Amino acid sequence: MRQAFDIYRRLLGVQIRSQLQYRVSFSFDLFSAILVTATEFAALALVFERFEQIGGWTLGEVAFLFGLLEISFGIMDMVFGGFDPQDFGASVRHGSFDQIMLRPAHLLTQVLGSQFALRRLGRIVFGAGVLLFAVTVTQLDWTLAKVLYLPLVVTGMVLFFGGLYIVGSTITFWTVESIEAINILTYGGSYLISYPMHIYQNWLRRIFTYLVPAIFLNYYPVLYFLDKPDPFGFPAFAPFLSPLVGVASFVAALAFWRFGVKHYQSTGS
Amino acid sequence: MLKLYFEVAKRSFQRTLTYRAAAVAGLATNIFFGLLRVAILLALYGDRQVVEGYTVAGVITYTGLSQAVIAYLSLFGWYDFMYAVHRGDVAADLLKPMNLFSFWLAQDLGRAVASLLLRGVTFMLIYEIFFDLTYPTTIWAWLALATSLLLSWLVSFAWRFLVNTAAFWSPNARGFGRFAFLSVLFFSGFLMPLAFFPAWVQKLASFTPFPYLLNTVVEIYLGIVSGPALVEALLLQAAWALGLIVLVQAVLRFGLRRLVILGG
Repeated sequence: MRQAFDIYRRLLGVQIRSQLQYRVSFSFDLFSAILVTATEFAALALVFERFEQIGGWTLGEVAFLFGLLEISFGIMDMVFGGFDPQDFGASVRHGSFDQIMLRPAHLLTQVLGSQFALRRLGRIVFGAGVLLFAVTVTQLDWTLAKVLYLPLVVTGMVLFFGGLYIVGSTITFWTVESIEAINILTYGGSYLISYPMHIYQNWLRRIFTYLVPAIFLNYYPVLYFLDKPDPFGFPAFAPFLSPLVGVASFVAALAFWRFGVKHYQSTGS
Repeated sequence: MLKLYFEVAKRSFQRTLTYRAAAVAGLATNIFFGLLRVAILLALYGDRQVVEGYTVAGVITYTGLSQAVIAYLSLFGWYDFMYAVHRGDVAADLLKPMNLFSFWLAQDLGRAVASLLLRGVTFMLIYEIFFDLTYPTTIWAWLALATSLLLSWLVSFAWRFLVNTAAFWSPNARGFGRFAFLSVLFFSGFLMPLAFFPAWVQKLASFTPFPYLLNTVVEIYLGIVSGPALVEALLLQAAWALGLIVLVQAVLRFGLRRLVILGG
């Protein structure tokens, strides 16, 4: 375990040093990462002048959802970048995953250390800015419990989406290519939960409540942070399920990963 | 000569049609995002029935149209020519007895038409199951739409090609490309109908070719612009297409002069 951690630390060091070699290129990447997220939020913020609300929520309130999601997804994308199904599928196709398996080091450590895109900091920083904006304009009523719970909500989402990345990558052991259904869950799912869940049609929301419990990741915690009533009448502990959903899906994803590795057959390339 | 370009376009059309499974998978994502965008816009609408000429059915159709042309107009970016320059494949293109720009134009036309059928028309047909969409009502409206769609592809291709020529000057032009294509998403009215933005944003957009890439098509489809305004919109589209193509030719001439291909 200590050895695995030591290797992970070294791999990260290598990643970070190499990315900082080309300063200009790195700053440009960072800037464009900020811009991608900023553009989407700007489009929403600009039409708010006209509409003033979305499903009864103010811009500040939606910004809370948006900011939390962006921070979490950004951290996830940085930490679990090695499991991005698109790239991972390519490494299975090209046989570079075989090389990794042959090395006498912990497998997860190596995959996690194979990709650590610092430019995702752009998204995280922008998300933090949006969250700060949300906290300021909603005049949030801070309690100690809320302060302590905020990082747990982020952790819950990081683990949930990280788990999805791992599942998506494991599937490529059989399909060789990343499958679209996973893209819908990761990119579609994160887009979905950055807006208040009560704006969606019932069938869609039910899928993301009972089948994929994404409603508890962001929406319910934010209801709690903003002291808003629950429109769906779930028990009072519903806002606190976020870390649990995260941990449970991550553990399940790891189990699936182990199953996949055990049954892995190289493509031979 | 024209027959040669026609053959190029035909091959590219067939090549695109080959990847049907990928197209179906892409359709699923397009539809999912379409559903979310409808929910978001309707939540913004609240009790409103019409906003800036967009009725409820109109704005739903808008989400459909903008999702349907993602592949047709390569809205999320296109780097093929950039790669060809960086890898040196462009040398082979230059050896062909054809104009470089026209060759790529013909290739993209084939790809675009196939994408329009495979990802555009199919998308709208499936979307119709979920929502009540509106359609142009007269034959003239359909003709105007077809013209506008064609011109929007020309504007889109000329812009994409122009962005890709950055490859002649920089070995790392992808970042620049990302920025250029992001501007398209915002100022073309892909993220939100341009009419919903404050006046200063619309003014800013009107100095760029981007509204003519998507927003004009949508407003013609929904009948928001009609009569003399429609003719003016089509003429402006054509003018931007022409202007951009002339610009691309000039840039290409400079770029090719700088181009050095290494053997190996």
